Amino acid sequence: MAGAPVEALKRVPLFIDLDPGEIEQIARLFKERHFSQGETVTREGSGGAAFFLIESGQATVSVAGAERAMLKQGDHFGEIALIDEGPRSATIVASTELVCYGLTFWDFRPLVQENGAIGWKLLQVMVQKLRAAEQGYLPDLTA
Amino acid sequence: MARDTAIFGSKAVGLGEAIRQGLPVPPGVALSGSIVEAVAGGEEEAIEEVTSAARPLHAPLAVRSSAVDEDGADASFAGQHLTLLNVPSIDELTSALNEIWWSANSDSAITYRQRVGLFTRPSVGVVIQELLNPDSAGVMFTRNPITGADERMIEASWGLGESVVAGLVIPDNYRVDREGRVLERTPGHKKIAIRSVPSGGTVHEQVPTELVERLCLDEDQLEELSRLALQSEQVYGPARDIEWAFVGGTLNLLQCRAITRAGI
Amino acid sequence: MSGSESAKGLSFEAPGPGTWALDPVHFPRPVTRYWAETHPDPFSRGTKHFARFYGMLMDGLQTEYVNGFAFNTVRPAPEDEIPLRFQRAEEVFEKKLWREQLREWDETCKPSSIAAHRAIQAIDPDALSDEDLSTYLARCRDHHAAMIFQHMRFTAGAVVPVGDFLAHVGDWTELPPSELLGLMRGAAPVSAGASAQLERLIYAIEKDPSALALLQSEDQDPGRVLSELRSMESEAGSAVSGYLDLVGYRLLDGFDISEPTALEMPDVLLRAIRIAVESKTLEASDVEDRIADVRSQVPETHRGEFDELLGEARLTYRLRDERGVYSDIWASGLMRRAALAAGRRLQARGLIHDAAHIVDAGLDEMRSLLTDSGGPSADELAERAQYRAEHSAKDAPAELGSPPTPPPDPSGLPPAIGRLMRAVGISLGALFGSSEEQHEDDLLRGLAASRGVYEGPARRISGPSEFGRIVKGDVLVTEATTEAFNILLPLLGAIVTDNGGLLSHSAIVAREYGIPGVVGTREATLRIADGTRVRVNGDAGEVTVLG
Repeated sequence: MAGAPVEALKRVPLFIDLDPGEIEQIARLFKERHFSQGETVTREGSGGAAFFLIESGQATVSVAGAERAMLKQGDHFGEIALIDEGPRSATIVASTELVCYGLTFWDFRPLVQENGAIGWKLLQVMVQKLRAAEQGYLPDLTA
Repeated sequence: MARDTAIFGSKAVGLGEAIRQGLPVPPGVALSGSIVEAVAGGEEEAIEEVTSAARPLHAPLAVRSSAVDEDGADASFAGQHLTLLNVPSIDELTSALNEIWWSANSDSAITYRQRVGLFTRPSVGVVIQELLNPDSAGVMFTRNPITGADERMIEASWGLGESVVAGLVIPDNYRVDREGRVLERTPGHKKIAIRSVPSGGTVHEQVPTELVERLCLDEDQLEELSRLALQSEQVYGPARDIEWAFVGGTLNLLQCRAITRAGI
Repeated sequence: MSGSESAKGLSFEAPGPGTWALDPVHFPRPVTRYWAETHPDPFSRGTKHFARFYGMLMDGLQTEYVNGFAFNTVRPAPEDEIPLRFQRAEEVFEKKLWREQLREWDETCKPSSIAAHRAIQAIDPDALSDEDLSTYLARCRDHHAAMIFQHMRFTAGAVVPVGDFLAHVGDWTELPPSELLGLMRGAAPVSAGASAQLERLIYAIEKDPSALALLQSEDQDPGRVLSELRSMESEAGSAVSGYLDLVGYRLLDGFDISEPTALEMPDVLLRAIRIAVESKTLEASDVEDRIADVRSQVPETHRGEFDELLGEARLTYRLRDERGVYSDIWASGLMRRAALAAGRRLQARGLIHDAAHIVDAGLDEMRSLLTDSGGPSADELAERAQYRAEHSAKDAPAELGSPPTPPPDPSGLPPAIGRLMRAVGISLGALFGSSEEQHEDDLLRGLAASRGVYEGPARRISGPSEFGRIVKGDVLVTEATTEAFNILLPLLGAIVTDNGGLLSHSAIVAREYGIPGVVGTREATLRIADGTRVRVNGDAGEVTVLG
C-alpha cells in the first residue's frame, strides 16, 4: 500500500481541517520508514528533512540531554521541518523497533503552496509552540 | 513512461551504458531515482516492475546506491552512499530500496548536502547485482583525491570490497600513473575479509597472518585495473570513483560514479 | 609498515663515512631547500658544544639531507680529548653543571633572544623595498641559524637531569619512562602554553564583558575575531595583542619554514585562548599524589636520592620546550613570514605560481628572484613543493652507510660517563626523541586523509548507541565509520579512525565535509583516552595527544 493510512492522518491537528480528498492527496506522499531500536531519528541541532507520524513502537524525546517525553503510536513530530529544514529542537531516539510514516519537506512544500488551508494550520501550530516555549511549558518540543 | 527506460540503458543510471560499451559489469539491474522513489513509496506497479526485472538474478543480492541529480548526472557525495549487502532475496528488495531512499532523504543527508553546497532535491539511483565472492576487491579513483594528481589511486583488500569502502581494514594502497606504471605500493593491514555465504548474507572472516600484510594485487591485476580506468574515463569522463572486484581471476566493475569536487 | 616496498625511483647514498640514521620523528616529510642549507651547520656546532660541556664521548652530531630526508650520524670525540671528557663527565653530576646552563639561559640567552625576535618582528617585510627585503631575508636567516645553534646548545641541559631521573627511578621501580615523565607535570608551564602574557590575557578578558562576548561568539571567522579582539581599546585588547606578539610567529608544529605559524591558523589560536579563559586554572594537578605514589615504590634507601633527582629534573624540565620555543621555533616563523612576503611579490610579478612555493627556494635563490637576477623557475619551485607533498619518511631507508656499531659497554667505562650515557640514552631514545617534540607515546601516525589541523577533545565512540555523547567541537575517535555516523558530522571538528584507507568512508566524508581526518592509525581507540585533548593534523597524518 502506498502512503500513510488516511485514518492516521485525520488525527493530526495539522490536517484536521482538510477535506477527505485533500487528506488522501497528502497521504499518498508519505513513505513508510523503519528505525531499529536505539537508532537516532532526529538529532537536536541537525537540519530537519521530514515530518513523521508513528505507526507502531516508541521513541524518547530529549532536549539538551534531558529526557522530556515518550512518543507512541499516533504521535507525530517534526512538522517545523516542513517549513524550514531545521535545526531540530530535540533528539528523538527509537526505544523499540519503530515504524513511521514520513513526509519530506520537498513533497510537502508544493502542497502548501497550492493549498492555503494547510499553510494556515501550520502557522497556527507554530504559534502555539512558540507561546508554549515562551511560557516554559514546552509540552511538545518535537520540531 | 520515463521509468521504463530507467532499467538498463539510461544515461542516468550509469552501468547500463557501461554494459553497452563492453565494460565488465556483472549481471544486474540499474534503477533510476524515480523508480527507486516509487518503490520506496510502496507503489505496486513499480514494485512489480523491479521485482520482475531482478528475478533473473541469483540471491543473495547487493544493492548499491548513488545519488543522481535531477538531470541524471552524478551529483552525489560518496560519503552518503549506502550499500546493502545482505539482501537475501527479491522479497527483501522493497525494504532495501526503502532504506536506501530514506538514507538519501534523512536529516543527516540533508544537512550533509547543505554543508557541501548541494541544495537540490536528492534523487538516488540504485544498482542491484548478484553478490559476488571475490578474492580481492576495492575502490579505484582515477584521480588522486589527496593531491589531485593525474594518477590512479587503488585501495584493495581480501574478499568483498566493502571492507575497503567501510574502512574496516587498512587496505593496500597503490598509485599507478596514466600510462599504467606503478608508482607506489603500500601493503595495508588487512585483518578481516568479508565473504559472502552460500546460504545468503556475509561473514567477517579472520585473514591468515601471512596474508595480512601481503599485497593482494599483482602486476597483471594492476594492469587490468589501469585499463579499466582508461575505459571508464572514455565512457563517463574524468574523475571516476570505481568499485571493482576480482572473482576467480576475472575483473568486475561494480560501480562507477563521479568523484565529488570536494573529494579531490 | 615493515616490508613496505616503495617504488618511487629515489636513490639514496650515504652522505659521508659512518652510520647514518633516518630521523622520521623530527622530519616526517622532506625538508625545504632553505632548511637543508641552513640547518646542518648550526646543528653540528650546537651539538658539539653540549657534548664538550657535558663531557660526552661524542663530538656532537651531524645532519645531512638526502633527497630532502634528514639523516644523522654521531661523530666520535677526538682521542686526545677523551681524558678531558672523562673528567668533565664527573663534574657534571658533582657540580650539577646543568644549573649553570639554566642560569645562562634564564639570565642571558632567553631574554636576549626574545629581544632579537621582537626587533625582527617589528619590521614589516611588506613595507620594504626589494633590496631591503633581500637584506632582511638574509638577516632573518642569520638569526634563524643562530637560534638553531642555541637550541642545540641547551639540549643536553634539558635531557641529562631528566634522563638521569628516568634511568635511576626506572631501575628502582621498573616503571616505564612514559609514566615517570608524568611526574614532570606542572614543572613546565610553557609546554601548556602558559606564560605571564597568557595569564595577563586571561585576567583581562575575564573582567571585560565585551571581550568575553567577542571571544565566545561562535559564528564569526576566527581571523576576524582575533583582529577585533586585539584592536579593542582596553586592557583586554592590549593583553591579546601582547600575547599574539609573543606566540603569533611561532611555528605550530615542526621546524621548517614550510610549517604554518600560529597566526596562520587563527582557529587553533582562538580555541587555545578560549580554553585558557574557560578553564582558568590548569587542571587541578594530581601530580603531588602521583609523585608520592611513585616514591612509595622506590626502596627506602633510595628515597633521598629520588627526591634529589626529581628536583633536578623538574627544575630543568622547562628547558625542553623553552629552548625551542624561544629560539628557532620563533625564528623559523619569522623567516617564513619574510619569505612569504617575498613570495607574494614574486607571485604578483608572475615569477612564481603560488606565493607559498617560495619556501622551496634556498636563501640565495630567494634573493636572486627578488632582485631579478636569476633563480629557479616557477615550475621548478612548484615541482619541489609537489615533491615534498608527495613524499614522506616512509620513502626513505632507515639507515645509510656502514652498519651501526654497538655503543660501548658502560660497565667498562668510568662511572660518571656510564651514568651520563644512560641518562642521555634513555632520554633520547633514538637521539633527541624527548626534546620538546612529543614523546613517542603522545604521537600517533596514520594516513593523511583530509587536510587541516584541528585541536579539540577526543570522543571515543564505538557505535550509534554512543552518539549522544558527542558535543560540538569534538574529535571523533572510532574504529571505522559508516553512513550512520554522518549524522554526527555537523558536530565534529575532526575524524580519527583505527582502520580505513584514503578511499574509505571516513576519509571521504572528512574531505567532503571539509574537516581534518587521519585514518588507518591502527590503535587510536587504544591510545587516546576519552576526553583527552588532541591535535589532529590531516596534512601530516598525525594525531598528537596533548593531555
